[in-house]
Amino acid sequence: MTTLTLDGIDKFYGDLHILKDINLEVGQGEFISLLGPSGCGKTTTLRCIAGFEPIDRGRLLFGTREMTNVAPEHRDLGMVFQSYALFPHMTVAENLAFGLEVRKVAPAERAARIAKVLEMVRLAGYEGRFPRELSGGQQQRVALARALVIEPAVLLLDEPLANLDAALRDDMRFFIRDLQQRVGITTIYVTHDQSEALVMSDRIVVMEKGVVAQCGTPKEIYERPASRMVAGFIGHSDVIEGTVLGREGAMIVVETAAGRLRAHGPEAVSGPVHLMIRPEKLRPGLAENAMTGRVKKAVYQGSALLVVVELPSGQEISALLDADAAVAVGAELTLGFAARHGWVIAR
Amino acid sequence: MNGRKTVWDHLFTLLVTAIYLFLMSPILLVVILSFNAGEFLSLPIEGMSLRWFVALFHNTRFLDATLHSLLLAAVAAVVNGVIGTLAAIYVVRFAGPRLANPLRLLMSAPLLVPEILTAIALLFYFFELGVGNNYGLAIQVGHIIVTFPYVFLNVSSALFNFDRSQEEAARSLGAGGWMTFRRVTLPAVKPGLITGCLFAFVISFDIFNISLLLKSVGMNTLPLELFDYLRFNFDPTAAAIATVSIGVTFVAVVIVDRTVGLRSLRF
Repeated sequence: MTTLTLDGIDKFYGDLHILKDINLEVGQGEFISLLGPSGCGKTTTLRCIAGFEPIDRGRLLFGTREMTNVAPEHRDLGMVFQSYALFPHMTVAENLAFGLEVRKVAPAERAARIAKVLEMVRLAGYEGRFPRELSGGQQQRVALARALVIEPAVLLLDEPLANLDAALRDDMRFFIRDLQQRVGITTIYVTHDQSEALVMSDRIVVMEKGVVAQCGTPKEIYERPASRMVAGFIGHSDVIEGTVLGREGAMIVVETAAGRLRAHGPEAVSGPVHLMIRPEKLRPGLAENAMTGRVKKAVYQGSALLVVVELPSGQEISALLDADAAVAVGAELTLGFAARHGWVIAR
Repeated sequence: MNGRKTVWDHLFTLLVTAIYLFLMSPILLVVILSFNAGEFLSLPIEGMSLRWFVALFHNTRFLDATLHSLLLAAVAAVVNGVIGTLAAIYVVRFAGPRLANPLRLLMSAPLLVPEILTAIALLFYFFELGVGNNYGLAIQVGHIIVTFPYVFLNVSSALFNFDRSQEEAARSLGAGGWMTFRRVTLPAVKPGLITGCLFAFVISFDIFNISLLLKSVGMNTLPLELFDYLRFNFDPTAAAIATVSIGVTFVAVVIVDRTVGLRSLRF
């Protein structure tokens, strides 16, 4: 079931074309991340859904209901802001009651729903506190509770973890994902943090310069990126330029400066391409797709050893090897990768 | 620097204390003089007495003038509370980057133009209109104009520092424009609004030039009455009225600081 449809949405700021033909269908209970560098249009997309920015072209549907020109207060959305936007002159309970009062929920039911939601965000007993008396993480959870207590059709989150410190951010990722699963609420999550998007989402929408660069599951986005930009934005990758020679079954043969390499890729790809390998997929001494070069750097990272190898062509590739691997700087090293781990992207 | 205080630190503290004492002493002096039992405004005082406060409350001219001044100040504070807030909302929210700064300057102009010039301009203006000094209109308008910037600037700064996503949060929770303003925006600017109104009230109570030129025939404000009185009398009644008005102002400031705080002044 589709709860949210973006149908060819365009958005202009004066002469600037901010959003270009954004199409997206979100299913019931899905967790979708809008991911991209700042200025890519992800926040604008969210604000268009929320109704804070008018849509210049295209349509927005909630289920089958047309929402394109509906005022934000009539859209039945819950939104969590980067700054939390808690009402500073109201207590936690009053912040949560606000949306219920507007909806004319009876006081007794109001109290019950507030108690239930505060329990869910592990803030039972904090009803009488003011936002300024809470830590950043607690304020974050109040903002989440305030959005959830009205039981909205869709939950929108605008970089909600950006202002938290690293350790808390990691906890909150799983907390939000877990809460979303329990409530079963359709969620749109804006972030510039790729690891956040990877661990939380059902699907990721990667945006660049106002366009959807790719939309897919975290696994699809990570292993089979649609473009060099997507590959570069999600995780680290080694990219080798080459030309498609032909196919061997499911594999594509690519002629590169590092030799003739085999990888998989989309059906139609041909001509000049990029061959992408994730550094953790490179293995020392593997005969398949072997490339030999001189070790330039070997950096111990605790969980892995980061090795930078300079190929005879002058290109550098980095590999994440086992932390115990015996690698000497200046020595020759052969790295290989399984063909199914390489991915060919049209240039 | 280490935490130990040197001789110079103590000397500096002494100097600052001396400067403040010098600046505050006239006010202290007036309060002391008002309790003088003697006939004249002079030091040393000849014993303590409340007789001049009693004299004050039997002086109908002073009481009338005080009433006029309080009324002028109250109307100026309330009217500015409304139009100053509306103006601040327009300048901060709707004027746009090109209009905002010129408008801000224009709205602050009564602070920058000498009060006497404002008074003369208004005098000509109201006589051209044919209203002249009648009905107490000119003096009231003068007081409103001169105290307008205090409300405007305080509310502007509160609005400027206000995180607008709070309004968006209210909208997303289902509140319409008016409810959002009443429940979210107005409480956020309330400290600035109350501080601004307090300032408008106190400044208006103290205005001299505007009142001198624009007052209606037969009415007087407290500063004018005080000035007239001191031209012919030299008894401590004047000190008594000064003490009362210092007391009233002080109490008002303390009440506001305790209730809403004067935080919004620190911008």
